[in-house]
Amino acid sequence: MSDNTADTTDFGYRQVPTGDKKPLVRAVFESVAPRYDLMNDLMSLGVHRVWKRIFVTALDPRPGRRLLDLAGGTGDISFAWLARGGGPAILSDINPAMLAVGRDRALQRGIAADLSLAVMDAEKLPVPDRSVNRVSIAFGLRNCTDKQAVLAEARRVLKPGGRFFCLEFSRVNVAALRPIYDAWSFSVLPRLGQRIAGDADSYRYLAESIRTFPDQATLAGMLETAGLSRVTVQNLSGGIAAIHGGWRL
Amino acid sequence: MSHNTDEVPHVAVDPRLLEVLVCPLTKGPLHYDRAANELVSRAAGLAYPIRDGIPIMLAEDARVLDAP
Repeated sequence: MSDNTADTTDFGYRQVPTGDKKPLVRAVFESVAPRYDLMNDLMSLGVHRVWKRIFVTALDPRPGRRLLDLAGGTGDISFAWLARGGGPAILSDINPAMLAVGRDRALQRGIAADLSLAVMDAEKLPVPDRSVNRVSIAFGLRNCTDKQAVLAEARRVLKPGGRFFCLEFSRVNVAALRPIYDAWSFSVLPRLGQRIAGDADSYRYLAESIRTFPDQATLAGMLETAGLSRVTVQNLSGGIAAIHGGWRL
Repeated sequence: MSHNTDEVPHVAVDPRLLEVLVCPLTKGPLHYDRAANELVSRAAGLAYPIRDGIPIMLAEDARVLDAP
């Protein structure tokens, strides 16, 4: 099954017409936006903060480097990039509600100087060819309809020598972890979502979308198909999440 | 349509961003229409709105330009 040729695509465990995924995902994130950061902490027991720190280390922030942060939502990656000495960052998300949370947080932190915000569809970037040094997408790619198109766009906008990094939930590769992880994400998580965000369905979608996302090797192959080179995979917490990286050479 | 610049002050859009952005469909240049607070892609025939200072670079949210 391929994202860009089929007439239907994954929306959690359901198959939906390809054109329907975008509005469905939009509705999920509009619903969860105000509580998204809190829910991430609960979903991952706070571990997502550690993963994001490792991810930003991989991005290797430097003052002369320009970052395009895709599906950056509430701003965690862009903020950490700037805090750790990175150059100008463009924080983007397809969802204005998520980006509004990011903007408010940036203003509160007083770090808006090197930060630009724009609503963008990661499949159709409003950014010129060869214009940025880093493209990041953290916990965003699985919500995109045509993932291969996102990877192709990431490569297009990177300068030669620039690097793409994706942080995403992946496949647990430690057998002992699996039953606990399954119970957590399919029993505990939707209930937490109901209790805290008043929306079990959205959190059920999030749990399901993690399981339908390509595993480590498949995603690495997709980066290569997009023309990215020297593709690397770094498992985090036994493969619950993984960082995929690739160069535009 | 909220094109009334007298009553609704626009949040200034980031000038560095205007230098960077291109049309997401054609990847061609954009023209900033200050009065309408839109980014206009003549090639695509679309005007992308700017809301609260944030450009909305989605074709589905853009205004279709009248034929010249």
